Amino acid sequence: MNALRKLSWDWYDGEIPANVEVDETAYIETTFSFTRYRSQVQGGVTYRKAASTYLGTMFDVGPSGRVVLGNYALVHGARIICDASVEIGDYALISWNVVLMDTYRMPRDPALRRILLEKAALSPNRLAESQEKPRPITIGPNVWIGFDACILPGVTIGEGAVVGARSVVISNVQPFTVVAGNPAKQIRSLPKTASEE
Amino acid sequence: MTPSTPLQPGRWNDGELPLNVVLGVNTVINGSLAFKRFHSEADRITTVGEHCFIDGVHFSTGKRGRIVIGNYCCFTNVVLLSELEVVIGNYVVIGWNTTIADTDFHPLDPAERILDAIACSPLGKGQPRPKTLTSAVTIEDDVWIGANVTILKGVRIGAGAFIEPGSLVTRNVPAGVRVMGNPAQIIEEPLA
Repeated sequence: MNALRKLSWDWYDGEIPANVEVDETAYIETTFSFTRYRSQVQGGVTYRKAASTYLGTMFDVGPSGRVVLGNYALVHGARIICDASVEIGDYALISWNVVLMDTYRMPRDPALRRILLEKAALSPNRLAESQEKPRPITIGPNVWIGFDACILPGVTIGEGAVVGARSVVISNVQPFTVVAGNPAKQIRSLPKTASEE
Repeated sequence: MTPSTPLQPGRWNDGELPLNVVLGVNTVINGSLAFKRFHSEADRITTVGEHCFIDGVHFSTGKRGRIVIGNYCCFTNVVLLSELEVVIGNYVVIGWNTTIADTDFHPLDPAERILDAIACSPLGKGQPRPKTLTSAVTIEDDVWIGANVTILKGVRIGAGAFIEPGSLVTRNVPAGVRVMGNPAQIIEEPLA
């Protein structure tokens, strides 16, 4: 990895944050993806072997958030809102404008939202760290998520599953199934791969 | 920022603000494309209130369009499309890639749509376009709108409503409820 943590091909004048771990075979199209990154933990984002992120991918990661991109994971413009853990499995394919969120950040009660917004207005980065309890999400290996889909807090998507474009996933997805719709429902089963015994 | 520091006037960080856009104190707009498609005539004033953080927005307006936003709002990558009026209250939060439009953009009637296609084409310069349905959108105070939401023309979202990510909102939403789906439906009544 480049010691300066800058990318020679980058259109944006930024750096890869010091606590982001990048395998030497991984690819980052632009450091613009880290403009909302504020994780304080080591491995706030981890890129494993040949993992890649492209334009539009945004790591909106809070101080305790941790995101893992598995081997060969391809993230082509997802918005990752993470205050605890978002884990993306090996060979996962994630399309543009997909939202992966382990927290809503804002409370359901409007009065409490006001307090947070007034705090954010006076903070230098204009963000107020949330007090909501995050619910980690896990995207299994070999999962394919279509464009504009939303994966909501607490969801686990099983190995080999497909999430249709524009789906909103609010509950766990079984391995080797296809889900679609808003809210997403199972519409099909898929043949299992050799990795499944 | 300490209380003794005076708050800065509202600003857009990526260019010169159009003359008919007024920003309140401590409001920040980011994004080089924010006013790329802003075509409001001089008498149609777009306003953003105080203490707002509007990151990566598109203010996309027609000649008679305008957008009015209250205080303490926080938007991320929102696309606001107005041919008439989009009014947003105070303490409204809107997530990634949400679109709000007060117009159908083109007529429903197929014959009229052909006329519109010609008027919009490179050969249609100056030709009047057929009438398209427009109806103002109102989002009241304390509304929370998640990512990837679409809000269509004529919709009024009541105070304190909570719009789940990915919702497509085609009808009015009562105050305080939680909605989700396509089309969006009530999944939770107002908090007691």
